[in-house]
Amino acid sequence: MMMLKKDLITRHPLGIQGDETDIISNGEFGAVLSRAGVGKTALLVQLALNTMLRNRNVLHISLNDPVDKITLWYKELFQHLAQDHTVEEASQLWEFLLPHRLVMTFRVAGFSVPRLRERMADLTGQDIFHPDMVIIDGLKFDESTRECLTDLKKLAGEQSFHAWFSVHTHRHEETSSNGIPSPLLAVEDLFDVALQLQPSGTDIHIKPLKGLSNVTSDLSHLTLDASSMLIK
Amino acid sequence: MDDRKVRNIGISAHIDSGKTTLTERILFYAKRIHAIHDVKGKDGVGATMDSMELEKERGITIASAATFCEWREHEINIIDTPGHVDFTVEVERSLRVLDGAVLVLCSVGGVQSQSITVDQQMKRYKVPCIAFINKCDRSGADPSRVIAQLRSKLGHNAVAMQIPIGLENNFQGIIDLVSMKAVYFDGENGENVRIEEISDALIQEAVTKREELIDAASMFSDELTEAILEEQEIPEELLINALRIGTLTRKITPVLIGSAYKNKGVQPLLDAVNQLLPCPSDMKNEAFDMDNNEKPIILSSSPEDQAVALAFKLEDGAYGQLTYIRVYQGSIAKGTTIVNARTGKKVKVGRVVRMHADQMEDMETIPAGYIGALFGIDCASGDTFTARGTTLTMSSMFVANPVISLSITPEDNKSQINMSKALNRFTKEDPTFKTYVDDETKETIIEGMGELHLEVYVERMKREYGANVETGNPRVAYRETITRKAEFNYTHKKQTGGSGQYGRIAGYMEPIKEAEFEFDNKITGGVIPTQFIPACEKGFRACMAKGPRMEFPVTGIRVLINDGAAHNVDSSEMAFQAAARGAFLEAYAKAKAVIHEPIMKVVVETPTEFQGSAMGLLNQRRGMIVGAQDDGPMCVIEAQVPLAEMFGFSTVLRSATQGQAQFTMEFALYKLVPQSIAEELAEKMAKKKKDI
Repeated sequence: MMMLKKDLITRHPLGIQGDETDIISNGEFGAVLSRAGVGKTALLVQLALNTMLRNRNVLHISLNDPVDKITLWYKELFQHLAQDHTVEEASQLWEFLLPHRLVMTFRVAGFSVPRLRERMADLTGQDIFHPDMVIIDGLKFDESTRECLTDLKKLAGEQSFHAWFSVHTHRHEETSSNGIPSPLLAVEDLFDVALQLQPSGTDIHIKPLKGLSNVTSDLSHLTLDASSMLIK
Repeated sequence: MDDRKVRNIGISAHIDSGKTTLTERILFYAKRIHAIHDVKGKDGVGATMDSMELEKERGITIASAATFCEWREHEINIIDTPGHVDFTVEVERSLRVLDGAVLVLCSVGGVQSQSITVDQQMKRYKVPCIAFINKCDRSGADPSRVIAQLRSKLGHNAVAMQIPIGLENNFQGIIDLVSMKAVYFDGENGENVRIEEISDALIQEAVTKREELIDAASMFSDELTEAILEEQEIPEELLINALRIGTLTRKITPVLIGSAYKNKGVQPLLDAVNQLLPCPSDMKNEAFDMDNNEKPIILSSSPEDQAVALAFKLEDGAYGQLTYIRVYQGSIAKGTTIVNARTGKKVKVGRVVRMHADQMEDMETIPAGYIGALFGIDCASGDTFTARGTTLTMSSMFVANPVISLSITPEDNKSQINMSKALNRFTKEDPTFKTYVDDETKETIIEGMGELHLEVYVERMKREYGANVETGNPRVAYRETITRKAEFNYTHKKQTGGSGQYGRIAGYMEPIKEAEFEFDNKITGGVIPTQFIPACEKGFRACMAKGPRMEFPVTGIRVLINDGAAHNVDSSEMAFQAAARGAFLEAYAKAKAVIHEPIMKVVVETPTEFQGSAMGLLNQRRGMIVGAQDDGPMCVIEAQVPLAEMFGFSTVLRSATQGQAQFTMEFALYKLVPQSIAEELAEKMAKKKKDI
């Protein structure tokens, strides 16, 4: 099982080699941007799996999908990742990974930072779960987002986690001169890393819009396989 | 007979969403019963479907009786499926027999955890369904919220076929969005359907909702899409046909509304059953050819072909065993001979009947697609009956191993006799219910899928069979298994005067996932004579019942023998059995044996304010929280918790949440027991041994 674990860690979704640290540190924010259905959740789940493999806890918050659907994402992507290995090994590792993940779903209208703060207090206060990474999938980016994100940033600092967001972009929206699509533009300063997914033919390219300078100079070769949604 | 006018449907629902009342009303309008009783009736008669006394008292339905009725020239067989999760084998067996289902939901409670379980089962067996939102007369009724939940929680493409005229106390009737008419239910029991024009106040809403309905249906019919594009009047039949296609492929779930208790909306539901749910030949049913390596074969559903039928339910009647069957192909007629595919026994069909709860009607034959019952046929639930000459069997249904056991001791001699009768019956009816006598304590042990599952059987023993039994503490079904390959080379030798005993066995054992036990003989050159090989296997197999480490059953072991030795005078079957036992112990000690325990999937539904405490409770019980679904005022927590920690959970949960939370659980998987717990178990085991 250890072999498999090591092997999977080195296959970091963003091609980071031999590095035991996270891409962003506590209190920092990352964003994955794309149009609907390109693979934001798939990329986020792979970042989460990598984090879980390094014995760190991931709180996955979804505002769209039910718990079952999210757990299915994890299972399928993990199975793809581990498909070269024996079933025995993979299922042992999977059992080991599961306690590192907690899924929470909210209805879009029901989600607020005070509410999340309450939920997280339930979790950490009773020593049930301490997240190192929080994924927030499906948050709407509009005029009121800045306030919500500022509060979240504060929470992230207090509870010492870093957070990744999915940002839904639209074809008709303009991009600014620095290449940041409009939904993110108003709150760009709060984010340390932004990655854009761009479909081209059968592949999906990952284009770094911001940050990641310390990681690798050339990310343009990274692509998602459109069928498995795995990073090639 | 025209099977296009046959419907085999189930009514599946959460407990207390009014399923039994709905069934009762259906039978009343279809003129199968002449008076309406309530589930918890004061008149002491009880609703007709709950044929068992216990069910009447508790107001719940446990056994799935099949009953038959007619509605507008269609023959409808209703399988009353049980509502509680502990009886899922019965639910699943019923679902296998159905062609379609009505998913009943409470307009106040909405989609509850039980509905989710039942829905998953329907998905597994690909049963097309329509939804009925019941209890629209209750305060807090909100059908549109339930439709939204059907979409968000169950992932159904739910679409309203009706809208209510008033709600709660003021619930008067419904507007049918297909015919665009208002429907009212007059008369003492709502038997007179009055159709009127839609009032001005509701017409706008009705038009909007109708557009949504047509839009959803247009996915399934080009003709309908064309009609929309050309802005023609949409004919009712065109819309219904499109909805039917969507329903049969499970791509759309039409939603109807009403209140069975207040006699509203039941007749339109029956119309929808006729119009939207499949007839037997719409559905593909597979059987396996036993002669051809269990190759799946699609059954023809023609009454002329060779008969294939499934016994899905047994009942003890006044005239002996009653066996409910569904015929998939061919027909089963009075006086013919059929074969039980499991035992190979030939049986002559004596009496063929059609059931209406406790009453019955004699028939000459049951053709393909129909459900009926046979008399005096000895078989178990799930057996396949076929015509002579075929070797088909219906797929064996997935049956989980029991996870909990309980000792029972009869109070007196009479109870002892009745208890055996009852156990004999229950084990035939329910494959997840098992019983055996413990060799050491001589106690009778019953095993099942949960605390409530066993409780109900103990109750039934008392009530139906007059067997008073005392029960012991529930015990969890732990298991032992090995985690690495280990070799053995064991010689059994005894020379104590007379003929001695000699046998040597060598080989290895290794863990396997797929089977409980496998034996592989790789002996070459006859170093162990062929006649002793079965004795070796028997010896190994005997060791599986009680693990050397903690005396729990051993599972998941493959034994391979590749060497050995025999003596031409002293070797015997007994010697090799003993050698196998020795070899097993030798290897087992080196194979890193571990204990596994059953883990349950626990789903707690609680008001959001108690989410924290509910999670805390699960966490204290070694639970792993998988997720929490926040849904406004309510939230659903899913966790995996060891069964051993779940005893008494309902009481604790109730007191922590002011009685507002509920939970369901079902077996999920076997998992390694943590070190500390394994030590605790070992201590207990040591103490028990000392006491004996």
